[in-house]
Amino acid sequence: MSQRIPLAWLQLKHEKMKLFAAVAGVMVSVVLMWMQLGLMKALFASAVVFHGSMNGELVIVHSQYEHLLHSKVFSSRLLYRLRGSPDVSDVFSIYLAPGEWKNPWNGEMRSIQCYGIETDNASLKLPGIEQHLLQLRNTDVFLYDRMARPRFGDVVGAVERREPVELELNRRRMSLAGVVDLGASFGVDGNVLVSHANFLRLFPERKSGEIDVGVVKLMPGISVVSAQKQFQKVLGKEVQVLTVEQFKELELIYWRSATPIGIIFTAGTVVGFFIGFIVVYQILYTDVTNHLPQYATMKAMGFSDGYLYQLVLGQSVQLATMGFIPGSLIAAAMYAGLRKVTQLPLYMEPMRGVFLIFATILMCTFSGMLAVRKLRSADPADVF
Amino acid sequence: MKTDDSKAIITGAGINFSFGQGELRKQILFDVELAIQPGEIVLLTGPSGSGKTTLLTLIAGLRKLQEGRLDVLGHSLHNASQADLLQLRRKIGFIFQAHNLLPYLTALQNVQVMFDLQPDVTIKEGRERATRMLQQVGLGERMNYHVSRLSGGQKQRVAIARALVGRPELVLADEPTAALDGTSGREVVNLLQSLAREQKRPILMVTHDVRVLDIADRIIEMQDGHLTASSRGSSSAENHPAKGVQNEPDIANVTL
Ligand SMILES: Nc1ncnc2c1ncn2[C@@H]1O[C@H](COP(=O)(O)OP(=O)(O)O)[C@@H](O)[C@H]1O
Ligand SMILES: [Mg+2]
Repeated sequence: MSQRIPLAWLQLKHEKMKLFAAVAGVMVSVVLMWMQLGLMKALFASAVVFHGSMNGELVIVHSQYEHLLHSKVFSSRLLYRLRGSPDVSDVFSIYLAPGEWKNPWNGEMRSIQCYGIETDNASLKLPGIEQHLLQLRNTDVFLYDRMARPRFGDVVGAVERREPVELELNRRRMSLAGVVDLGASFGVDGNVLVSHANFLRLFPERKSGEIDVGVVKLMPGISVVSAQKQFQKVLGKEVQVLTVEQFKELELIYWRSATPIGIIFTAGTVVGFFIGFIVVYQILYTDVTNHLPQYATMKAMGFSDGYLYQLVLGQSVQLATMGFIPGSLIAAAMYAGLRKVTQLPLYMEPMRGVFLIFATILMCTFSGMLAVRKLRSADPADVF
Repeated sequence: MKTDDSKAIITGAGINFSFGQGELRKQILFDVELAIQPGEIVLLTGPSGSGKTTLLTLIAGLRKLQEGRLDVLGHSLHNASQADLLQLRRKIGFIFQAHNLLPYLTALQNVQVMFDLQPDVTIKEGRERATRMLQQVGLGERMNYHVSRLSGGQKQRVAIARALVGRPELVLADEPTAALDGTSGREVVNLLQSLAREQKRPILMVTHDVRVLDIADRIIEMQDGHLTASSRGSSSAENHPAKGVQNEPDIANVTL
């Protein structure tokens, strides 16, 4: 049966307050779902920015290495064994440790993640890093993380404004050689890159050659998986040879289990779904209840149950659409705001949008289908 | 519409009907027998609670027939399926005590929506027919008014337009004047009568409004669930000679 008159819409529109409440309910739900899913993705993505920047295919860490904040050192001499391999193009070693940063403006001490990297070749694929490598060789200079949390002070701004600022890391006067983008994450508020020599100056307790991460760049065309197997055999049980993806996954596994973030944000998304579901259900249910005599009249006049179901479900789809669009716009604005404040990589990813469109329609259709059951109690025999 | 005068559009015999179960079972209709011919305007009167509405809902296919035989517009209602009852109801124009219009629609939309039941009528044609129908009930000027802006009598006139626009084979009305004052009640009934006569549509109308009895071809009366009497209505050839009453009212059609 075709609907010549947009009954569903006209009925929705008739009671403006109710329509507004229902759309607001869907909107809140849509915003919540965007935020929860976006934050979850961004938080996890931010935890593996460093891992993703490895300038190589394989990563070597100690066999007891768990994640960046729980690393264990191994001897870089192990890596020399790989240098001779015809499959290997380059090998890099990285030191890492949390350092103490002094905010130059308020003197507060903050923990900042420090990486000691090689300066002959870029061991990290970070945009713009190469131009700074030469400078990094100087004594007591560092690269600063432009996306570090503001609690470290407006270092970047000060440098851009050519203000002299006294920078102090692990109680050593340091000077800034440049900035790179790494970003904050769960356990890390910001990052600093230094040369191996400067790293050892900053952390006198660390021994030269006792590194945290080895990076292996393979020759073009070499199979990553077979190289991985071969190197693991060569290097023995003291270290684990990982692909970059496995290196990331190890980090993510830890944060997924160590933090309730996965659960919290998944639960938050489900809560968002149910808020929308319940609001829409409540409104459609009371609406059907209030209009029972009208529905009974229509049934008596020969309108089929299917026609009336379509009417109510049509309303739920309309509510879904009307809530989704402004809800997504609000979410986009909140993403932009949060991106600025927290430096988290929050973006309106199209796949997430598609997923949320389906979730919203499902949410409204579910509530519509539940509310529609009430239509059965519209007895056309009662109309006379 | 069937024009075969010898063929009644409603025939019923031996109709018994009860509400409730077991101890609480209460019989409402007793051995009702009736026949209504094409084009007839029949009024069903009787005291409140005598079972008039119940009989009307049975004829309309709104309640399941329990006992007896009832044929309406060619549908046998004994053990009829829901789908069959729905088909029957689509052939009937309903007028209720309250107007039962959809309050979120305009007068025109309320009439037009009936064409959702007749997919073969185009949107344009449906609109034209609805417009003409509203002009016929005297609401040409107020077609785009929302229901809430119409008076009681005007609403009931929209309801008449809605009932007739689909060219039903039968019009069933239950106390259509009960909610109206005397003057508008009279107007509404006159309108219904003249339109039905014009379109040659049979009407079965429940009423105990004595002021409107004169429109009937025939009046049948119900007392405690029994059809007790039938009389020739005062609306006969001398009142509406020009309107072309197709078939003379016939007392014998109602068997008591
Ligand atoms: N749904 C129902 N359930 C039980 N009893 C009913 C129901 N509808 C009507 N009745 C009873 O049936 C009798 C006849 O009612 P009704 O047909 O509405 O009478 P009328 O239309 O002549 O006033 C009344 O006693 C009424 O109380
Ligand atoms: Mg009644």
